[in-house]
Amino acid sequence: MSDHEEENSQASYHDTDNQAAYVYHPSNIADEEPTRPMKRRKLGKQKAALDQLQSSTTSKFEALLNGKESVECIQFRYELYERAWFHTEAQIQTILDEANEDTLKDVTAFVQDSMQERSNQTNRETETIPAGFIVTGPNIASQGFLFEQLSGHLRAEVNGPVVALRSGDDSNLKAILKKVIRDATNQKTSLDGDDEFTTGPGGRKLLNYDLEILHGFVRAQGSQAVVVAFQDSEAFDTSLIAELIALVSSWRDRIPFVLLFGIATSLDLFQERLPRIATRSLHGTRFDVEQTSSLVERIFKKVLAGSHAPLRLSTTLVASLVERQQEHAQSVQAFTAALKYAYMCHFFANALSMLTPVLGASPPYALQSEHYEAVRMLPSFKALVKRLIETQDFSRANGLLEDDTILLDEIQSSLSNSPVLHLLRVAHVVASSSPGPVSSIDLYMATFDGTLSESDFASRILESTKRMTPDELDSFLQQICDAIQNGSLDMDLDGWAEEDSNFLEEVTSLQSQVSNLADQASKSGKPVRSSYAIRNQGLRTTVIAQRVQLSYEESTLTEQDKQFTTLVDKLNARLKEYFSVESPKDIFLHEVWLYDSMLPYRDVFTPAPRARIERALFAPYDYLKCDCCESVEGLSSTHPATAILYQMYLETGSLINIFDLWSAFFEMVSGGEEQKIDERDALVLFYRALADLKSLGMIKQSKKKADHLAKTAWKGL
Amino acid sequence: MSTFFNLPNELMLNALCSRFPCRDQQIRSLATLISIRSAPCRNIVLHGLEATGKTSITKVVLDELSKKQTNGHVNNNAADDDDIRYAVIKSAECIGGRHLFEQTIGAVATAIDWPESVGRCENLAQLLVQLSKLVEGRSGSSHNGRQQRLAIVFDGIDRQRDAPPTLLPALARLTEIIPNLTTIFIVTSPRPNFLHLPGVPHIEFPTYTKPELIQIISLTTPSPPVPQGTKETKEVWTRYCSAIWDSLSKHSGRDILSFRAVCLRLWPRFIRPILDGQLNPSPFSRLLVANRSLFQNDSVLVPSLVSNAPHSSSLVPQTQQSNLQGIATQLPHISRLLLVASYLASYNPPRTDSTFFMKAALAKRRKKGGGTALSRKPGIGKSRKIARKLLGPQAFVLERMLAIFYAIGEDADSLPGQGKKSKRKELRNLSGSADVLMAVATLVSLRLLIRMGGPNQDVLDAATKYRIAIGWEVARGVARSVGVEVEDYLAD
Repeated sequence: MSDHEEENSQASYHDTDNQAAYVYHPSNIADEEPTRPMKRRKLGKQKAALDQLQSSTTSKFEALLNGKESVECIQFRYELYERAWFHTEAQIQTILDEANEDTLKDVTAFVQDSMQERSNQTNRETETIPAGFIVTGPNIASQGFLFEQLSGHLRAEVNGPVVALRSGDDSNLKAILKKVIRDATNQKTSLDGDDEFTTGPGGRKLLNYDLEILHGFVRAQGSQAVVVAFQDSEAFDTSLIAELIALVSSWRDRIPFVLLFGIATSLDLFQERLPRIATRSLHGTRFDVEQTSSLVERIFKKVLAGSHAPLRLSTTLVASLVERQQEHAQSVQAFTAALKYAYMCHFFANALSMLTPVLGASPPYALQSEHYEAVRMLPSFKALVKRLIETQDFSRANGLLEDDTILLDEIQSSLSNSPVLHLLRVAHVVASSSPGPVSSIDLYMATFDGTLSESDFASRILESTKRMTPDELDSFLQQICDAIQNGSLDMDLDGWAEEDSNFLEEVTSLQSQVSNLADQASKSGKPVRSSYAIRNQGLRTTVIAQRVQLSYEESTLTEQDKQFTTLVDKLNARLKEYFSVESPKDIFLHEVWLYDSMLPYRDVFTPAPRARIERALFAPYDYLKCDCCESVEGLSSTHPATAILYQMYLETGSLINIFDLWSAFFEMVSGGEEQKIDERDALVLFYRALADLKSLGMIKQSKKKADHLAKTAWKGL
Repeated sequence: MSTFFNLPNELMLNALCSRFPCRDQQIRSLATLISIRSAPCRNIVLHGLEATGKTSITKVVLDELSKKQTNGHVNNNAADDDDIRYAVIKSAECIGGRHLFEQTIGAVATAIDWPESVGRCENLAQLLVQLSKLVEGRSGSSHNGRQQRLAIVFDGIDRQRDAPPTLLPALARLTEIIPNLTTIFIVTSPRPNFLHLPGVPHIEFPTYTKPELIQIISLTTPSPPVPQGTKETKEVWTRYCSAIWDSLSKHSGRDILSFRAVCLRLWPRFIRPILDGQLNPSPFSRLLVANRSLFQNDSVLVPSLVSNAPHSSSLVPQTQQSNLQGIATQLPHISRLLLVASYLASYNPPRTDSTFFMKAALAKRRKKGGGTALSRKPGIGKSRKIARKLLGPQAFVLERMLAIFYAIGEDADSLPGQGKKSKRKELRNLSGSADVLMAVATLVSLRLLIRMGGPNQDVLDAATKYRIAIGWEVARGVARSVGVEVEDYLAD
């Protein structure tokens, strides 16, 4: 409506000079403007036609390979992306649902208990309101999700209305009560304020913030609990919460209230803020939610380290993701978004992404010759050829370079996913046989760096085997066997006993030998130890004369001890060999399933608007790339006026004399004696630049001194 | 005809007095001042502290008085004609004056069984009109010459939210215009002449004394009972309650409700030796000695949100500690640093910033006008002696806090798994980044930082001021978790 009026006014006043502001109409829209109702009808048709057009061509992705990529390939990449992300997202969602399930169950049980309690003591006056405190951790973003789940769950399980309150919604008691009543009784949203009346029982008119309405509703529905959940309790005004609690506790004999508080910091801090009288009328139970860090780790294990993961992230990217989690926003949502963005970038910008082995996807279309060219440009291809040449396999190298069919065979054989699977299996064996708890993210990083065998994880395991008694070693080997046979549910790994039968056999034979030794030892009553363990014990027990003790202990090595020592040595050597895996970066075609570019992530997820503005003003050449300015920093009369003023502003103190600033500016703009510019024009530039700075929030009128500006922003903060 | 003056029915009063021990006098006065044939009053003020029985006694007395005529079995002829109705309005449930008026009209209409719906009632004048309409309509409907009276109870009217300034005097004057009306005000402590009306009878509900408290509380039966029998249970309970009063409740939580709550809460632990069979209830002193620690620990007096907290009362300091550390470990690294920076900005005067946070070469103190900056005017020196910590947090501008943040960030520990060098580069990278400002916003919404200037304050304004909301202990814990020692930067 409003722009219609403006149009009319524009039509009547042709003299646009009198207008204070101008509305910009792009020419093509302006043409259609008079026939507005017509256009709407047309638009519907057009849109449908457009949709058809779009669905047929699906130009959602750009054509790559210099635009030579065929439509089918583009389409295929898009489908692959959809499928891959759908799969991953579903996995994440299941984990999130599972994670909150315990909390949901506990809270529901709590609400039901309080209902029970209430119905048991109907005649006795209840003195306190049941309150649940859900400690969510400082990640506010996930609270919304949790409370959505919670209210959905409670609505299904509990007989009674559930109302979720957020601090941003309302800021006074009346508004909150209105919302509570509205949401609880499922009324339609009333648009205006206090004068709204609702007809209560007996034809009495009630104010729409009167809890009497809720009371009537509860009686009519026979509700046993009215759950009011404060999603972000800390952000509420404390006095508001206290008033609400007082009100609720005054009504508690008629309306069965149950309060839930989402707490981000800690219960003690929350209690400190509440007044005593409010605290006294609550009795609560505390619920802990699984912390974000462990949740992220679980998701990580599933969607990046899982065996079905279509796309894996390189270690540098993972490192920066994890670092961001620790430094800034500990939230699952941020992690998921970053992951999704990586998927999008991969399938959008990499033509070879159509080779990505996505679970359940059909094998790719016939490759175009450009694809083969692209494969030959890959660093991993170059490395492969280099390796072939080093092994004197010239004909094969030649074939790969010249013949597309040979290359296709090579591609298909190398996409069978086995090298990655091997990596993951080794990682799983390491994780399950490690003496202490292992952070799966760190393990992933070590594995995908190719440094697993030198990493702490491997060395810790090898060290620990040396100190073990035969019984411990037995159970340790059993752990390894179990890991191989059972796989891992968290990582979607099935057992791989058949495929890795060599290693498994070796381990089991070692195990039987060890258990034999242990049996003998238990019969003879003499403990069997490896020489490492004895030396270790000798070191531990000796205080004065280490050397003497050592030689003494070694001389008493029994035959069994020696046998055991050789077994341990053998195991160590075998494990070391097993742990030394090749880095994924050396695998041919790793570019297809390993995403490794930091730049898009950094650009999108870590914006620095302030730094950019400051840089643009401080060194405009970086952005303008114009001929007139040089790339050197510092003042120049060719800079835009705002930039000149900003650079002067940087050199001032916290109070700026406006006249001084103007003279300096004029001096700079006019070029001193030359008088390149008229004073009036310069003044206009000056005013505009000043207004720019003001709208950026860098200066404001000072109250301390007349004709002075206050500086409010410093560079580099 | 019946006699003109009758005291209220003694039977009823006795029954009431036995239900509410130690409140004889108040019950009798109230009944006399309400019942029609005794000394009906226009306005009555009941005052007393919390949990002294004001509301419940009022309700019960009114209930009995109004019941008399409906039941009709009372043999006193005179009372048969009386028709007392009452309406109770809780101010705690009324949001704003208008809500109070609406509630009043609604409650009165229900009390006198008004058949039609009542109109709206927005201000005192309308209240008066509506009320008189109701009362007149009622007396018109029953014209058999019975005496009628209406009692309106305003419970906690002194705590009414958003009350119009003339509310109390106006309510007190309702009775001047409307006949046969008694207004009862229940307040905590009346200011002298707060109704601006002389001669209003006041009935005081004093707090219970120790013998009275013990007498009342002995009516409660504790659970679990002592296995030796009800008589022993009662005996132990009474002596135990008196001991609790002397050691704990005498000094804090003196009202009957909190006293009873404390007694009931500690009772299971107190008789645990008896239940375990270690001790007998008979020498009470031995029980006392065995439970010595129970009476020395006054943390039970502090109400706690989570009900199972008192079980581990001996572990209270430890849990507190871990909770404080909890915030420190839960918050992300940058938020923790920001929190420390905010603490410093709040507690350091801005003039000392250059000394603490600037590089040594630049930290030279600039002297104004020949070096008199250090000399102070007489008189100022004394007031400056108060430690800054005790003055509470001061407001600061965001820019200043950010500058401090970068200054202390250089000294802070890097994250585990990162070298010293990578960290320094990285903090510089952060400058001007949206992440830092987002962390500030998060801290504000967690109320660890408080934005000054009300809800209408422009967030983007550079002059918006902030204040820290955490105390010294928490700040120190958070700072240590990032490897910063707050004391190093704190002025005085």
